[in-house]
Amino acid sequence: MDEKVPRSKIIETEIPMGTVHPAALEPYRVRLFVEDEIVQEAEITIGVNHRGIERIMEGLPVEKANALTEKICGICSNAHIWNSCRTAEIGWDIEIPERAVYIRVIMGELERLHSHFLYLAHGCEVLAHETFSMRIFYMREIVMELLAMIGGNRVQYGCSVLGGVRPRCDLDDKRIQRIKDDLDKLEEELTNFAERFTADSILLSRVTGIGVIPQKQALKLAVTGPTLRATGVARDLRTTMFEYDNFDFNVITQPDGDVKSNLLMRALESFESIKIIRQAIANIPEGKVVNKAWDMFDTDIVESYIEVPRGTLYHSYALESGRVRHSVIRTPSMSNIGAMQYACIGDQITDAQLCIVQCDPCFTCSDRAIEIIRR
Amino acid sequence: MSIIYSILTVIITVLICFIISTLLPGIERKYVHARIQQRIGPPVTTPGIMAPLKFMFKENVEVSSPVPSLYKVLPIICFIVVTCILVALTPQAYKIPALASLVAIVGFLKVEEICYVLMGALSKSVMSVKMPFPDLVKGAEHINATRSFIEDISARRSLRMITYGSFPLYLSLFAPVTAARSIFLSDIVTYQQTHGPFLFTVAGGLAAIVFFIGYMIILNEYPFSIIKAKSDVIEGPYMEYASKYRAIVYITRGFFMFVLGAIFSVLFIGIPPNIFSWGILLNIGVALIFVFMMGIFSAFTPVFTNRQLLPTILSSTLLGILAVILGLL
Repeated sequence: MDEKVPRSKIIETEIPMGTVHPAALEPYRVRLFVEDEIVQEAEITIGVNHRGIERIMEGLPVEKANALTEKICGICSNAHIWNSCRTAEIGWDIEIPERAVYIRVIMGELERLHSHFLYLAHGCEVLAHETFSMRIFYMREIVMELLAMIGGNRVQYGCSVLGGVRPRCDLDDKRIQRIKDDLDKLEEELTNFAERFTADSILLSRVTGIGVIPQKQALKLAVTGPTLRATGVARDLRTTMFEYDNFDFNVITQPDGDVKSNLLMRALESFESIKIIRQAIANIPEGKVVNKAWDMFDTDIVESYIEVPRGTLYHSYALESGRVRHSVIRTPSMSNIGAMQYACIGDQITDAQLCIVQCDPCFTCSDRAIEIIRR
Repeated sequence: MSIIYSILTVIITVLICFIISTLLPGIERKYVHARIQQRIGPPVTTPGIMAPLKFMFKENVEVSSPVPSLYKVLPIICFIVVTCILVALTPQAYKIPALASLVAIVGFLKVEEICYVLMGALSKSVMSVKMPFPDLVKGAEHINATRSFIEDISARRSLRMITYGSFPLYLSLFAPVTAARSIFLSDIVTYQQTHGPFLFTVAGGLAAIVFFIGYMIILNEYPFSIIKAKSDVIEGPYMEYASKYRAIVYITRGFFMFVLGAIFSVLFIGIPPNIFSWGILLNIGVALIFVFMMGIFSAFTPVFTNRQLLPTILSSTLLGILAVILGLL
């Protein structure tokens, strides 16, 4: 299949769902245009959770603005503060201690693990497989506790600061040992789960060939992250990020672009994240974790892209007198919304929410466009 | 005197069965689902007793329905229908011609199913079309499309379940008839008391499997819960029920679980529910076994779509036909 084409001419009825729906953890409206319970076209609208964070950031000192970016998302809060600090660091040419880079990578990968586990659990929940969902949440709990140990919180860790990481997030021997032990346990449980999942023929029949996003269409729609890689495109921004230069990992891809590929994609990427964290704790250099010797100066627009659990995250700053003059943030879900609409086409209504969930939506993070209504 | 005695026996039997049935949803959730999922689960009395009690005293919200009075009366009809089935199963009722045959049981079950269709068709909740959200803004595609409530899907699916979804259940109900050569419950019970339970024959074993599938389908339990799947139609027909009406829905579900177990006891083992007989313990045991089996099965399966549902129904129907043929032979 090259591309999915909406069959707009055979619409029988419209089924709107949301903006509140128990299968979706995010506030969005989806209009499903169906014929005999088969979705012919879908239309997703967001906009009920616009918070105007970029506007609030304008005029704030950079440190405060960075802290504010963490509030954009509860799941990838670390990614936001990491990238906002990174943007300012690029703009002000701040050198990051090597140890801080390693800790940032560890936090980033732990966050990827917990995001992927949340994805898997949510996917199983939408499939109404509560047992698997619970089992994944138990695994996620291990990661959440590790994040709490390093960052002090289960969400909103405040780990990255300008020039490195907070001293309280430094890793001593005891913490490193706990990470090692918990990763062993996690890997064992994840392996067991993956084996059990792939051996379940009923479950596989529910996810195989459902919500297919053709590769060509994914590229056309500028889909990013694991959702793109699940269509067979080996594109991962971590391969270009200097933070990951010292780490050996594989870019996982899956061939089909369906729900099964997406679920397996996250499970297999989790193993790679465990591998990266193990390398990081084994080779973490000694030294300070924050560089406080830097100067502020005015900059033009500075941009930074990083690979976060759901795809490519973009932050930009224009800095003036140590304050933010201008900021733009673009989250991965923004570019994946198009794919969600196409993924539903040709599947049953019962699968529609699953097709949307397979693209790992985070609409609350994406809800930042300002709509100007002229009267 | 004997009529009064019979009426009293039936009333006490129904009451005791009802009280026991209130524990069944709790047992399913606490001792099956929660244990499988390694969590504590709710107290065993919560789903079947405390939750309905709580809802009973909640303030009601006016239902959003074109015919609110009919919509509100439907759970009560369901409860009455389930009670009637249990009454029909008691040995004392075998003397009432209208209730004495399997046709009465099937008829009552069909009324129960039709209630789901009506509930779905009459529920017009805020979860879809009525959500105050500007869908038809500039740039929206298909401005003139016919808009449908998600409960309408549920009603259509219920209708489909009546036409073919519950077919395996009814086939399995008639399998014992082929052995007893009579549709009267008294004959079926007598036949099994003479020749042994129908369950322990090849035809009976096959029919029992089909009955179990039908049991889950008619109870709208995962994986067959397409009329109230969380992934699309949410609560489906029950969406608008609140306070005492929701309490009745909860109570009816537990009671229906017990009554279906009692149907199995009568048709497949030949033990009718009677409070003054030790057989009542077997009725309770069968109800519990079905609850455990259903809990285990639903905990390990995702919700089916039509793609999985149709082959399952087709294969169980074929199995049911095989059971009937074997029963005839």
